[in-house]
Amino acid sequence: MIDDRSLLTGLIEALHVLVLQRMKDSQSFRLIGSIPEWFRMFTGTPHVTEAEVQVYLQRPFLEHFLTEAHEFWDTHTFGQLASGLWAEQGQDGHDVQFEADAVAKDGVKLLLIQRVGSGNFGLQAVLQTARESGLQHHHALSEHKQVQQVLGGKLEQSERLRDDLVMILDRLQIGTIMTDEEGRVTFLSRVAQELLSMTEQAVAGQPWSDIQAFSESDTLSLQKMLLRAINERLKVPVMLELGKGRRVSLEIDVQEDPRNTQRTIFFLYDVTEVQGLRGLLTEKSRFFDLVGKSSVMTEVYRRIQDIAPVDATVLIQGETGTGKELVARALHQAGPRKDGPFIAVNCAGLTDSLLGSQLFGHKRGAFTGASHDHQGFFEAANTGTLFLDEIGDMPLSIQTTLLRVLQEKEITRLGESHPRKVDVRVVTATHQNLEELVKTREFRSDLLYRVRVARLYLPALRDRREDISLLAEIFFGQSRTATKKFDVQEISTEAMQALIKYRWPGNVRELRSALDYALIHCRGSTLQPSDLPPECLTHSDVLTLMGIHSGLDEKGQIFAALKRAKGKRAEAARLLGMSRSTLYRRLESLGLPSKG
Amino acid sequence: MIQKKICMLGAFAVGKTSFVKQYVTGIFSEKYHTTVGVKIDKKMVEIDGQPITLILWDLHGEDEFQKIRASYLRGSSGYLLVVDGTRQKTIAVVEDLHRMAQEILGEVPFVLVINKADLSEQWEIQKDAAERFRARGWMVIEGSAKTGEGVEQAFSQLTKSMVDD
Ligand SMILES: Nc1nc2c(ncn2[C@@H]2O[C@H](COP(=O)(O)OP(=O)(O)OP(=O)(O)O)[C@@H](O)[C@H]2O)c(=O)[nH]1
Ligand SMILES: [Mg+2]
Repeated sequence: MIDDRSLLTGLIEALHVLVLQRMKDSQSFRLIGSIPEWFRMFTGTPHVTEAEVQVYLQRPFLEHFLTEAHEFWDTHTFGQLASGLWAEQGQDGHDVQFEADAVAKDGVKLLLIQRVGSGNFGLQAVLQTARESGLQHHHALSEHKQVQQVLGGKLEQSERLRDDLVMILDRLQIGTIMTDEEGRVTFLSRVAQELLSMTEQAVAGQPWSDIQAFSESDTLSLQKMLLRAINERLKVPVMLELGKGRRVSLEIDVQEDPRNTQRTIFFLYDVTEVQGLRGLLTEKSRFFDLVGKSSVMTEVYRRIQDIAPVDATVLIQGETGTGKELVARALHQAGPRKDGPFIAVNCAGLTDSLLGSQLFGHKRGAFTGASHDHQGFFEAANTGTLFLDEIGDMPLSIQTTLLRVLQEKEITRLGESHPRKVDVRVVTATHQNLEELVKTREFRSDLLYRVRVARLYLPALRDRREDISLLAEIFFGQSRTATKKFDVQEISTEAMQALIKYRWPGNVRELRSALDYALIHCRGSTLQPSDLPPECLTHSDVLTLMGIHSGLDEKGQIFAALKRAKGKRAEAARLLGMSRSTLYRRLESLGLPSKG
Repeated sequence: MIQKKICMLGAFAVGKTSFVKQYVTGIFSEKYHTTVGVKIDKKMVEIDGQPITLILWDLHGEDEFQKIRASYLRGSSGYLLVVDGTRQKTIAVVEDLHRMAQEILGEVPFVLVINKADLSEQWEIQKDAAERFRARGWMVIEGSAKTGEGVEQAFSQLTKSMVDD
């Protein structure tokens, strides 16, 4: 089992980073982890104290960077600001190169300082070559100047320069996309092809905004950046989801082509690794796609880390909507099979034969309609993970076959007689109580023992209310992008309170759809309680919402709601948190007209 | 102790690092070692009996690979614009950098150094370039980081006008 704290300090040590946390007073810094060796060498002091670290921060470059960093920390809760490289002479007379980052995450402000070792001299070497060849080129050019100019070799020269530039960018691992005046892709460098997982032919001549790898919101951010003046542009952070759980974090620099400012060049910087490390240093609230920093979720993360490396079958239990598939994915991603396939199958609602052939495959002619040989999910998941959701709904006949497959590690396609070896890790999940199903003979007890070798319990959302606001913020951001309602800036405190109070029988899934619903209904710039689905609001919430004293009798409340809804009955029903038909019934029983 | 920040600005390989090194240590090296990022040096001087520490910010050359970060300039009391006499193109670069510096710093003193005077027979820039810049009111010094010509002078003229400022 990995201990977070020792992982963190170990990581800091291994990376030789000096990590300082800005304190509440915004002036002083606290050391996190240990002081790296380079610091002793650089300052020439064998026993460094925190006081010496404070003095170090007053050296010219850092002092300068810190003014920028403080501004950044004071205005950002999330993000990072890099200092760029700088060099200073150390005690031994040699130049030492450094880089610093100001990181903000959930209100924690960190200053990371690294000594840039020979690793970075890759960059140095490439720039050196580029500039030296630039100089050589210049000398050669001045010698042959007249001839070159007369021959109008300019064109050729700029072509060559472009090739050189691209070669250098490739070596720097910076991807390049070039477009023409209409924004159609004219060039996609080798590195860009790798980063985006696509070939140049696939996009050449297409508008860059059609590039599949970019999400809609990323495309939008890039377009917005393009509208800015060139010197006001910033790198746009972009997250690519490339399937099979592969994610790439990029920073994209949008520049004009210096030869023709109507054309655009995108520079793609791969920051996945940096982000990953920074994430480890600063993030505790996410684990793969799972979100939450409550102690119950932290315990889930720990269990996943324990279970992921072993090949045992896992049973994930939890109410509907708690995110069992995400846990299964995390188990896959965190384990040795992560480069293999992950296949999810829902066992509910499929007939015996259909599920059987889906799982184990069939031979042509095995049953009516089997017109081809068919590979089942077990074979498809070979070397990877097969996730069987709602295993409690699996028909008994299939349970028997599954048990055999788990024991023998081989499957036989329907209609075939020879078995095939499969190397698959099986992860199962259910919202039902399998022991109860065993009692009623709907589930085989031997299969139960087999699948729950490792068990994982996912808490209901109401049992981890402290995660609700974090989840709500994340879903809010996602729904906002999906509905393109960028005018909606935030969730009001009252709406957030309502979300935190609600019971969430549908758990995280219900929370997500509640935010989708709210965004669709939201008219202003802040999401209000009245935008939430009515079931999320308690009766007294509704009343306060309408500015109605809860002492009012039912008739009074209904009147107030109708008044507020300007007579629209459907709206009044929504405000009151009742269905339209209930409202009609109440109106009738109170002797009020239900129509009109 | 008064501290003053000075930035070295110019295209790549014009001799910014060499100029600072000559000034601080009196050493020159033929070998070109391009600067990545910023290199900080210090030099103590005395102006009219007053001790001053100069913090020299030797910035990487501006080219298509590395653009100078505007924030590096902040807090400078003055700057040296360096061009390479053997490369005409380096003039356009300092013109841009000068505009950028003015935007960020306002009117602070600066000196234009036309470097590599020891190679004057290979100069590409016009012989009257210095005159034309002086006509615009600029302080201009033709010098060489290799021979040391003009190095002291460039820094002391700049420092003087920074102190008078
Ligand atoms: N002959 C001659 N060569 C010089 C002079 N100054 C610099 N050089 C040479 O020019 C090359 C570049 O010098 P640097 O001082 O590294 O130039 P820089 O402006 O700091 O370059 P970057 O850091 O890449 O921007 C080196 O090979 C130096 O030896 C000079 O006055 N005369
Ligand atoms: Mg240099």
